[in-house]
Amino acid sequence: MFRKLILLGLLFSASVVAQAGTIEMKVNGLVCAFCAQGIDKILRKHPATADVLVSLEDRLVAVETRDGRDIDDADLRKALTDSGYDVKSIKRTQNSLDAIRERLKKQDR
Amino acid sequence: MPSLSSALRILALAAIGAPAIAQAKPIAYANGTTIMGEYGAGTMNELQLFYAPRYFYSAGVGHLALQSDLDGRTRDITYARLNYLLKRWNLEAAQANVFAWGGAGAAHTNQTSGDHFVWHAGFQADYETRRVYGSVKSELHESSAFSHRIDTLQLGAAPYAHDYEDLATWFVVQGRQGTGTIFDGTEWAMLLRLFKGGGWLEAGVTTDGKVQAMFMINF
Repeated sequence: MFRKLILLGLLFSASVVAQAGTIEMKVNGLVCAFCAQGIDKILRKHPATADVLVSLEDRLVAVETRDGRDIDDADLRKALTDSGYDVKSIKRTQNSLDAIRERLKKQDR
Repeated sequence: MPSLSSALRILALAAIGAPAIAQAKPIAYANGTTIMGEYGAGTMNELQLFYAPRYFYSAGVGHLALQSDLDGRTRDITYARLNYLLKRWNLEAAQANVFAWGGAGAAHTNQTSGDHFVWHAGFQADYETRRVYGSVKSELHESSAFSHRIDTLQLGAAPYAHDYEDLATWFVVQGRQGTGTIFDGTEWAMLLRLFKGGGWLEAGVTTDGKVQAMFMINF
């Protein structure tokens, strides 16, 4: 019984980890930090958002979602459009925002 | 220095074939509030408060105080305004916008008695990358007591390309001229612009040595 409980616990943890992730969006028009703060604000209001990364250099907006949560493409596009920007592409990865920050640092060097 | 109208003509020619030409934008983002204040070399002071329900329009109130450097006449205009984003080009490494606005209010001058109804209309076209930017702005005020237009040109360059969490630094050249005997010729100014997060501050001097400053807060 105890082993079954442990197994169930592990399975549950694994499924949550598998569902947690990051949404990376390529965005056009990202040239001004002052103007782009609307993106950060609107995405952070979404209940599925854990953290947001905006990179003007890489024209990238990344959203780390809470465990087991996702944000619809339509909601993402609406959030970016309401901020005055155009989304060019959306992809989902398992990279953490810290990992993406590291990757961008290496790219930008 | 060339006159502002000459500079505007050159800029207009340069803009043909390009998406458009920025300065402080009258609309921040959906559900965003903007407060702007400007001290313009002792001849023009303005304070504005706008709220944007959507990214393409905002509404608010403002107060513009003008003092002629020709004869000391003053014009105080308190107004309500609607700003509208007519067109935005979101390019891969640039953004361009055309804004228009209009409003109405009350004006008081030191040459007439009582308050006068005043309406105004204006437009702004801007273009910016992370290293260069330019904007042209024109605004017309009409009342039974006066009529004037203020044209502003700004050209800016950034010594480095800022990123989202960095302090942005810009060097800006501004030319401003007005009809209706409010300025004497074109007022040129060199400005240093800094912004980070939701705060924006710029300050500089005109060629006459007068201070020019502006702040903006988005939240």
